[in-house]
Amino acid sequence: MADKSRAIFRTPETVQEAFAAENYIADRPLALTVMLGAELEKPILLEGEAGVGKTDVAKVLAGALDTPLIRLQCYEGLDASTTIYEWNYPRQILQIRMAEQDPALKSSLQTSIFGDEFLLSRPLLQAIRHPGPRPAVLLIDEVDRADEEFEAFLLEVLSDFQVTVPEIGTLTAALRPLVVLTSNRTRELSDALKRRCLYLWIDYPSPAKEREIVRRRVPEIEAALAEQICAAMQTLRRVDFYKRPGIAETLDWARALLRLGALTLGPGLLEETAGCVLKYHDDIERLHAIGGERILAGEIADEREAEGL
Amino acid sequence: MEAARQTNDAVDPAVGAARDALFRRVLQFCGLLRGSGFTVTSGHIIDAVRSLPHIDLLEPDALRWALRVNLVGSREEEATFDRLFDAFWRNAAPLEEVASELELEPRPDERNREHPETPPDLRGGPRQWSPDGVTQDVDLEARWGEPAPDLEALLRELARRLATRPSRRLQPSPRGRRIDLRRSLRRNLRHGMDFVELSRARRRVRKTRLVLFCDVSGSMDSYNPFLLELMFGLQKRLGNSRTVVFSTEATEISALLRQQSVRQTLGEIARRARHWSGGTDIGGALGLLNRRVLREGAPRSTVAIILSDGYDQGDPNRIEREMRALRRRVRTVVWVNPLLGTDGYAPIAKGMRAALPYVDHFLPAHDIGSLRALCRDLARI
Repeated sequence: MADKSRAIFRTPETVQEAFAAENYIADRPLALTVMLGAELEKPILLEGEAGVGKTDVAKVLAGALDTPLIRLQCYEGLDASTTIYEWNYPRQILQIRMAEQDPALKSSLQTSIFGDEFLLSRPLLQAIRHPGPRPAVLLIDEVDRADEEFEAFLLEVLSDFQVTVPEIGTLTAALRPLVVLTSNRTRELSDALKRRCLYLWIDYPSPAKEREIVRRRVPEIEAALAEQICAAMQTLRRVDFYKRPGIAETLDWARALLRLGALTLGPGLLEETAGCVLKYHDDIERLHAIGGERILAGEIADEREAEGL
Repeated sequence: MEAARQTNDAVDPAVGAARDALFRRVLQFCGLLRGSGFTVTSGHIIDAVRSLPHIDLLEPDALRWALRVNLVGSREEEATFDRLFDAFWRNAAPLEEVASELELEPRPDERNREHPETPPDLRGGPRQWSPDGVTQDVDLEARWGEPAPDLEALLRELARRLATRPSRRLQPSPRGRRIDLRRSLRRNLRHGMDFVELSRARRRVRKTRLVLFCDVSGSMDSYNPFLLELMFGLQKRLGNSRTVVFSTEATEISALLRQQSVRQTLGEIARRARHWSGGTDIGGALGLLNRRVLREGAPRSTVAIILSDGYDQGDPNRIEREMRALRRRVRTVVWVNPLLGTDGYAPIAKGMRAALPYVDHFLPAHDIGSLRALCRDLARI
């Protein structure tokens, strides 16, 4: 195309269709955000509770575009060298030792020793060097786990998409990758990073959306059972648990019940399989105290406290 | 895109006028957002406007979402944005009316000027808790004193010692005891792999994450100067720590404490934490701490410091339950109780008794002397 548009997704509908083909149900705001992210070449920052499908957005995006997914998992103490590149020293030494024996190798050593074959590309460099034809998808997962210093460094990379390797020179992305950042919001990200991104909060799904997700991801399941599972999940999310279950837990639970050959979800079975849904001992105790009957009957008032903090 | 380009090329004056009108409205709306406390830079506005050709303006909510993803930075901002958006775009009222309709709160400094407050008497002994959660304006400025120089030094020392924990990872250091083989190899490549120089490394110093959980209920009023100094001091020096104040509600004020001007910040804190000097619900507040601040994924290496006298109107069982949960979520739980230093104090308040089994360090703090002791004790943790 002549204009600057990359025309990856022309409309939100195209995003929804492409995601649906990968069995991911994208609602309109998400579809619009993905489309704008591609068009404006801005990273997308997705925040939300654990298990609502933030990481999947990047996976599905890569699948839909049939491009590689380059993943950078963040953790405390993550630094620049493990995210951009390292030289493969053992191989370099080997090469030097070999060159000492072989005069032919020796003359070319100076140029060859810092060649591509000795460069170990880490995720950020991989994303920058991706040749195309379509842009790679760069997933920077759980960015809230990394230190603030790393965030500042990331900011630099995300604005220019170029890194400098002293021995080679400056490498610039021929094709800017589509960047998806996710955060569980264990800490507030810096304003500067947020400013670079399109922001979207991903909430728990509506009952209808959740049923659709279960139907697509666990197609073998009986509709009635899926219905029961989703209804129970909606009720469970109203309880003030330490960790409220997300969609990931719904799917685990559906698969578990399918494997058990269950036809309906009874109170006993619900309590027995609570471990699929709740991951804290305190929460499971709480569930037993409430009782499976009350959960299935949906008789739980919304305990979620006003969004305090 | 086609549509956008057509409007660019075609010289249809009606379309051009409509486009200009939309553009002006968007600019006005950005101004409204900015007036309501959003950070809206010109970069934001440019990207927001750049988004417009890509969306179908006839689709309900497309404009809202397109502007929202560009202009908000948190879940809370999303909610405020939606409120403002509805008021601004649904009825085409002039800007001032929209602002007054939404009852946008005036800037804190203006408010303070309009309602000068008589500073509360800070000399009186600790009040008992007030019966209900109180919502009121508190003049924190009156309760703030510039930290005494020795307190300043003490806080610096405290922050330094709290922040240092050896990590498993290494970092290059000329005086390190270990040999950094990777770096040594790289440095010696230029000497043709004869080891002329050695690079060394030492253990990286790991920053401890602090969560400061301060009781600001009425019964703690007389300790406010101390609390404020501690909160500002620690937040400034340990950037990744978090500060939450609680009484019957809980409010995180970490971002506010990071701002430069203390006096301006105090007004803002008082505006945000309207429950300051209210009643106490330690259990409920701890519940919020456990669910929101220390949510899944929060580092387990956190040190939680609770500053409270332990007077509570809530359910002691709830305190017990939440303290147990808190204990599992963090590395260390420290409870600093200003009453602990006073003669004849025993932790017999029901809330305090319920919490004690889960507290690793129970420390006093009521004056400079005890603060120095606190610093020494905290540093040992």
